[in-house]
Amino acid sequence: MSIERTEKRLGAGLAAPALLWTGAFFVLPFAAMVWMSLGHLEGRTVVPGPDLGTYARIFTDPSLYKGIRVSLEITATVTVLSVLLAWPLAWIIATRVPARWRRLALLLAVLPFWTSYVVRSYSWALVLGEKGVIMNALTGLGILAEPVQILATRAATVIGFTHFFVMLLTLTIYSNLVQLSPNYARAAEDLGASRWQVIRLVILPLTLPGVMTGAFLTFVLCIGDYITPQILGGNNELSLPQLIMLQLGRRGDYPLASGLSVVLMVMVTLAYAACARWLKMERV
Amino acid sequence: MTFRMQTLGLAAFGGLLSTTALQAAENLNALIWCDHADAALLEPFEKAHDVRVNVKEYEGTAAGLTILEQSRPGDWDVMVIDGVDVARAAEAGFLAPLPEGAIDTSGTFREVALADAMTVDGKLYGVTEKYGYNTIAYNKAAVDPEDMKSLKSLWSGKYDGKIAIYDYYMPVLGIVGLAEGVDTADLDAAALDALRDPLMKLRAASRQVSDVVGSQTALATGEVDVLVGGGEWLTAVLNAENPDLDWTIPEEGGLVWTQSIAMVEGTEKPDLAVEFIKYILSPEGQARLATSSCYWGMPANKAAGEVLTDDQKSVLRWDEQEGYLARAQLYPVPDAETDTAMQDLWTDMLQN
Amino acid sequence: MRYLSWAYLAVMFGFILLPVAVLVVFSFQDGRLPVPPFNGPTTEWYAKVLGDRDLMAALGNSMLVALLSSAVALALGFLAAAGFAQTRLPGGALMRGLIIAPMTVSYLIIGLGLLQMFNWAGVRPSLMATGIGHVVINLPLCFAILSAAIGAPQKSALKAARDLGAGEAQVLLLILAPMIAPSLAAAFFLSFTFSWDEFIIAFLLTRFDVTLPVEIWSMLRSGLSPETNAVGSLVFLVSVLLVVTLELALFRKASK
Repeated sequence: MSIERTEKRLGAGLAAPALLWTGAFFVLPFAAMVWMSLGHLEGRTVVPGPDLGTYARIFTDPSLYKGIRVSLEITATVTVLSVLLAWPLAWIIATRVPARWRRLALLLAVLPFWTSYVVRSYSWALVLGEKGVIMNALTGLGILAEPVQILATRAATVIGFTHFFVMLLTLTIYSNLVQLSPNYARAAEDLGASRWQVIRLVILPLTLPGVMTGAFLTFVLCIGDYITPQILGGNNELSLPQLIMLQLGRRGDYPLASGLSVVLMVMVTLAYAACARWLKMERV
Repeated sequence: MTFRMQTLGLAAFGGLLSTTALQAAENLNALIWCDHADAALLEPFEKAHDVRVNVKEYEGTAAGLTILEQSRPGDWDVMVIDGVDVARAAEAGFLAPLPEGAIDTSGTFREVALADAMTVDGKLYGVTEKYGYNTIAYNKAAVDPEDMKSLKSLWSGKYDGKIAIYDYYMPVLGIVGLAEGVDTADLDAAALDALRDPLMKLRAASRQVSDVVGSQTALATGEVDVLVGGGEWLTAVLNAENPDLDWTIPEEGGLVWTQSIAMVEGTEKPDLAVEFIKYILSPEGQARLATSSCYWGMPANKAAGEVLTDDQKSVLRWDEQEGYLARAQLYPVPDAETDTAMQDLWTDMLQN
Repeated sequence: MRYLSWAYLAVMFGFILLPVAVLVVFSFQDGRLPVPPFNGPTTEWYAKVLGDRDLMAALGNSMLVALLSSAVALALGFLAAAGFAQTRLPGGALMRGLIIAPMTVSYLIIGLGLLQMFNWAGVRPSLMATGIGHVVINLPLCFAILSAAIGAPQKSALKAARDLGAGEAQVLLLILAPMIAPSLAAAFFLSFTFSWDEFIIAFLLTRFDVTLPVEIWSMLRSGLSPETNAVGSLVFLVSVLLVVTLELALFRKASK
């Protein structure tokens, strides 16, 4: 037996446990879910398919397909907003803050990561309420005559999400920025570019991989999250994960919950395909 | 770092082992509503019988039955279930009959005993343990209490944007029905169609549809002044903070909710299960259940009156029960088809 | 430009830190409502949290699930990364893709799929089931971090050790693992964090013994109370202490 064949066998042997685990606890459950989505509920029992009734329902029942739209709109808003807010923050920390304070500034910028996720959303509910800190301050200072309703609207959900993802994007963009050689900027300046031109034409394009990786993570995590819209959105509109949990919790409609999850999966996959050229997932 | 992690891990593991060691020989598995999770309620029973009561919370009968379906016989010993659903669950084979004569229900308030609804083929399957009302809760500092005497005020436009709806379809659809003159007993698919329009109008007039915490927050902080579906179970715990929070049963009526305790079919510990049910229905158990940390509610057993303090009784409005019970109606008992239609209507309301 | 930068930094720090500050302040609220006005400090809620049997049990459960699932994910990820470093495997790209795939999927989907499979197989919801789910989400992470850490120097060291007749276990444990120790630590730490804070999988796959995020969720569902603030603040303070200690330890090491 050649050395190369031994090595191949060995390599495959080492990778086997991980592959088996992923196959058994990721691929198989997903297949089970797809199969479930092809059945339907009669009374309290699941009638196995295959039939496409569940999907027909998702795309004809306004309450269900509106969930898809709501989720997409919220996720798109959050992703764009978070990139716009995080980029300057990462840039300021990477280039304006003195080197010895840099790590501290970065740590401060992501400090709330270390609270529990559930509690973080809840604390926004306390901040944004009509008697919350913000409205109290605004009406107290005379900036607003009447408190404005933010809590229990889409704005609250977007704020809660943006808070979390600004931190995430700041991290990915910052790590991208510090890897850039300052020579790029210097070369451009030597060639007569203004500071804005340097940022816009040189640095911005070079941070695209960091931005795209962060944006993709934002998209995936945001569109699949149940907690934030549930705590902050006031049930005034339901996102896809909320609809999925509603089917599970209220009536045990597994086929419909599975169908909605498959739709969610398709959207995430499309997003992945759209960003794939910038993503290096295996190297995060 | 790895060292620190190991230390932490060992500490956690040690902690876990010690709690396991402390664990009693026997376990009683209970599928419950959140008021039964209060340690003050469970601990006396655990000590007396040297058992550990494992609890799992659920909301809504459909969700509870789904959990039972996905379990194996013997997984569960007792469950808390909506009083009006006991017969349905028993007929579907989820519940075990209570041994004859084992449980004394003579102290139960007559209106909520529901003996017929809990008896199938001459066998008793559940006992009412606690009840209360889904009606209108409001902030009397911001709302004219006179207005709250009629459900029609909710649609008058006067309180637009100051209303919250409790996110549970059953009682709220019942209340909307009452406003439209439909008794809860007559709520069927046809009647439901007529409720769509008023429900959507109520939705348009309200600020949010929220769970217990969302509703409490909104009411306590003045974001809303009226809560449709609220009652003493929601305002009692906030009484100390904001005494202006009040509730009433309007002329059109309100809904009375009842929760009952039952033994789950397939239990391997029927004796212990019966002991637990007896404890919950004893005057002491009843008093602790009535004032449980999750929510308060009237104890079903009058004998709890001897244990509850006067303050607790006044928050529960012990002395006014007769009048309230006369005006309130029981929860609707929809068949499977109507139930689905109700849930679909509710989802539509949330989403539009 | 300079002032604008500082102003922006201040505003963003305000936005990022505001909810945490409010959370911590109102955990000392004297009264049941954690909203202004602040009625003066009390530590009542912290005493309540520390005396809460269920909460403390959930804390232990979270710790156990996070430690064990991270250890399994790390071991599997390490072996796989070493395997792919050996040689080009036929269908290697596909296999890598498979291991990475769970990272690009919503946790809700993974949780729901596992729930259905476990139901169908008659496996009861438990901490074990939750741990299995957490390995699924953390395995790709460990694999990615460790794969990136195994570069040319590690590969030639492996080859040399093997040529000198070292057994495979020796090669992995005595040569490779020490060479990429910082990455192993980082992967473990990240996995631990994700598992520790994961909600939806734990929510779907637990029953009596729940993890901390699930317990906090049910606290939140059952009523408004500064006790929730107190739990959140405690978790926050402990985590920050841990992070700062790590940061100082690593920073000191790096500057030596």
